[in-house]
Amino acid sequence: MPWASSQTLDRIKRTFRKITIDTQPNFVCLIVEDTQEITNILKHLKDVEDFRYFIDFHVIDFPKEKDRFLGQYILVNPYTFERLAIKVWFKSNKLPTAKEIFAGAKWAEREAYDMFGVEFEGHEDVKRMFMWEDYKYFPLRKDFPLGGIPEQKLPSLTEVLEGNTFPPSHDYDIMHTYVPTIKDIEKTEKSRITKKGQLVLNWGPLHPGTHGTMWFLFDLEGEHIIQTDVILGQLHRGMEKIAENLHYFQFLPYTDRMDYLSAVCNELSYVQAVEKLANIEVPLKARYIRTMFAELQRINSHLLWLGTGALDLGALTVFLYAFREREKIMDIIEGNAGFRLTSAFLRIGGVHYDLAKGTLEVAKYFVKDFYSKLKEYHGLLTRNRIWLKRTKDVGVITQEDVYQYGLTGPVARGSGVAYDMRKIDPYAAYDLVDFDIPVGDIGDVYDRYLVRMEEMYQSARIVEQCIEALEKMPENEPYVNKKHPAVLPPKEDVFNDLEDMVKSFRIVVHGENMPKGEVYSSGENPRGELGFYIYSIGKSSPYRLRIRSCSFYNLSVFPKVIYKHTISDAVALLGSIDPVVGETDR
Amino acid sequence: MASSINGNGFITTTVDELLSWGRRNALWPVTIGLACCAIEMMHAAASRFDIDRLGMIFRASPRQADVLIVAGTVVNKVAPMLKLIWDQMPEPKWCISMGGCASAGGPFPTYSTLQGVDRIIPVDVYIPGCPPTPQGLIYGLLELQRKIREKKVTRYEKAFEEFKKDLSPEILSGIGV
Repeated sequence: MPWASSQTLDRIKRTFRKITIDTQPNFVCLIVEDTQEITNILKHLKDVEDFRYFIDFHVIDFPKEKDRFLGQYILVNPYTFERLAIKVWFKSNKLPTAKEIFAGAKWAEREAYDMFGVEFEGHEDVKRMFMWEDYKYFPLRKDFPLGGIPEQKLPSLTEVLEGNTFPPSHDYDIMHTYVPTIKDIEKTEKSRITKKGQLVLNWGPLHPGTHGTMWFLFDLEGEHIIQTDVILGQLHRGMEKIAENLHYFQFLPYTDRMDYLSAVCNELSYVQAVEKLANIEVPLKARYIRTMFAELQRINSHLLWLGTGALDLGALTVFLYAFREREKIMDIIEGNAGFRLTSAFLRIGGVHYDLAKGTLEVAKYFVKDFYSKLKEYHGLLTRNRIWLKRTKDVGVITQEDVYQYGLTGPVARGSGVAYDMRKIDPYAAYDLVDFDIPVGDIGDVYDRYLVRMEEMYQSARIVEQCIEALEKMPENEPYVNKKHPAVLPPKEDVFNDLEDMVKSFRIVVHGENMPKGEVYSSGENPRGELGFYIYSIGKSSPYRLRIRSCSFYNLSVFPKVIYKHTISDAVALLGSIDPVVGETDR
Repeated sequence: MASSINGNGFITTTVDELLSWGRRNALWPVTIGLACCAIEMMHAAASRFDIDRLGMIFRASPRQADVLIVAGTVVNKVAPMLKLIWDQMPEPKWCISMGGCASAGGPFPTYSTLQGVDRIIPVDVYIPGCPPTPQGLIYGLLELQRKIREKKVTRYEKAFEEFKKDLSPEILSGIGV
């Protein structure tokens, strides 16, 4: 993605003389000195400079600085695809809210409050986003330990019921962080919604239709929803805190467990950010392998959406058919990475293994077969009368909503916004393959369905081209950049070469220090733009790693779209947004 | 005598064995997915592995289920809700902890994660893996069947005591208890 050009920056600088501009190779930001002026600057950027696409807002904690918290917005101009970050310091923990300018900031600010305890003037609805209402701490602050503060005795019931054995069945710490009671949870629920209609209906958190552990509160007037609140955090595992405590390469397996349906795509976004930070070149073969696996994973993820989305609307057959193809893709991934779901296949600087023998033949056969299977899915649903009635003109998302809420991926493209990181800022081998981006027309559930179906077709095309390119490559082509000091050498070299063994030992034990600087880099996940912002202070682990989650922002439009619609539409809409809880909550 | 009966279309068995046979061959898990493991749980139920053939049907209501598969990371916030679901399941019931996160916190030793679901729910079978493959889950379920077979049924006596409490003394004396 081209960052904001110097002409744009000059223009902004001319209007606002007090701001400073910081240009780094992979990061361009405006630093705003006067906190109160931020509202004007954001308005100006949105209305005059056309930076209307809200991408992210997050906070960085500097305990030793005078103002401590630094807020950062990331905006995109949807016409020229320029990207710009705006930094502003909180004045005594306070910042004017941006939710009037960008609706997506509403949830982002709630998250910032939850994690850092910062306040927003004019935001009356600042409540906990992930934790429960009476939670005492602000976990992402630098002075809060990763493991939390143990304050409750919580023994293992296996030991309680069956007695202590020797040697002990469990090796664990009996003290545990505070686990809320059902009363705490009820209090959280009550604080979220003031009843206006006739009935408040709970949907979730442990309901099969909510795709995981999301919790919806619907305030109903008859069958129509007049108020909605989404309670998240039923899978908040503290990913961003973990990243701050690990070396760069150690965080890679954790990205798999975020959006667990598209593990390779997550890894690709992450390694890309680190590679940009450390300036690591990736060999061509590795780029093709990455692209091929990312696209296989995209098909895999869309198939799960197809299966469960149709299952939610009552079509069980599609679920079984979609899982049949998923098994084949998982076999290809397992054959190469050794793992079905959370593959950890990529490495910083390349891929973990060379392609396993026979992968290309299997993949080729799969793709050839997949086109006919795709026709089968179309035959089951595309002109199915029940499917059309449930999805046409349901859950319409407008283009303005896309920009306001920062929606990305098929949700944005279904509404006609051709925003795809693979084309805008080609990474891996996407600049070497030929593919199209499908866009929808009116942005209803049916449009998003068609967009995803077409994306699967395009992905299959990309896989075909990657196979073709990989077949032409000589067998001993390098698949990892061994020369760079920050890259872990492949295992067979570690066992056979002294230098590589020493290098591997050094990186694993001490980690490799990365250069100072900031990077925001994103990749196109099956669900949208997954971005990683890394603030490096020259150590072997990031000072702050922010995950810009696509599911989180995509879901934030849900309460608006479902207003005055029925509960059955809510099921269809949620299926078409297709969030994954591991990523919304992180 | 047993052999002559068995040969003529009858079988002799104990009540214990009959109950345990019925229980272990109709394990109905609750449809609850928490995280990544839920996807592998879905795969176990879908086309290729199809655990329906072992008599296991996923039930969406805890009232109709007797196995709780804790599939995924249990965070502190979801723990009381999961416990509530466990309490809603009728006896006899079993719990399977699927994957590293549910068994002991897994790779998440953080402020928000429950370090092992056995701190709130007694677990019968632990399945390692991150996530376990569907084969792993099926192996765990078979192990649970074995456990039910080998462990004598003790709970029905307790259930009968509960039942007796509800009855009036006249009825009890009438049926000779």
